[in-house]
Amino acid sequence: MVPPVAVSPLIKTARWSALLLGVIYGKQRFDYLKPIAEEERRVEEAEKKAREEQERIYKQLSEGNAESHTAFVCLSHEIRFVCFNANIFMFPHSFSVSAANSDTILK
Amino acid sequence: PLASKHQTLQQIFITALTYSKPRLATFWHYARVELVPPSPAEIPKAIEAVKGLIRSYQTGRLGQTTVKDAIRNGLVTTEVLMWFYIGECIGKGGIVGYDV
Repeated sequence: MVPPVAVSPLIKTARWSALLLGVIYGKQRFDYLKPIAEEERRVEEAEKKAREEQERIYKQLSEGNAESHTAFVCLSHEIRFVCFNANIFMFPHSFSVSAANSDTILK
Repeated sequence: PLASKHQTLQQIFITALTYSKPRLATFWHYARVELVPPSPAEIPKAIEAVKGLIRSYQTGRLGQTTVKDAIRNGLVTTEVLMWFYIGECIGKGGIVGYDV
């Protein structure tokens, strides 16, 4: 077997200090990213709930409105778009907005 | 079948052990000398070597390294830099990506 090489002290210190710096960097970046990811997950949860709410209402309306297909579809696109944008700020109000729109459709 | 499965698992474990033992021994034989962290006495030597590097850059001797030496030093530097990423993997608790 080849005898082990005597590594220069510069390389040894460089290696192990790079390892230490890497551990510190990894830990700090993880701690920085963790709350951001949790926030994003929370926002995604809220938006998903709002979207499912919209789809439920859409399904209800489409079951009650078998006749006026085309006009209904175009309008409901706008409802969805408007309500999706509005939900970021006005989650409790979304119900009243879609209720008002459904009233105008049924007329 | 269940008993034979247990037997084969045991066999696999034993073969793995007998395979890895001498290789681990050679690894340890080299790692004991080459991969140990620097002792406190070696750190001033490292600082001296850095100063030597800076001096050789200032005097222009660094431009006189042969291509062979330059490639070798480049590979060593790359290996040293890769330890940083291994450290990052250890720090973030995973190999690929951050598990947030």
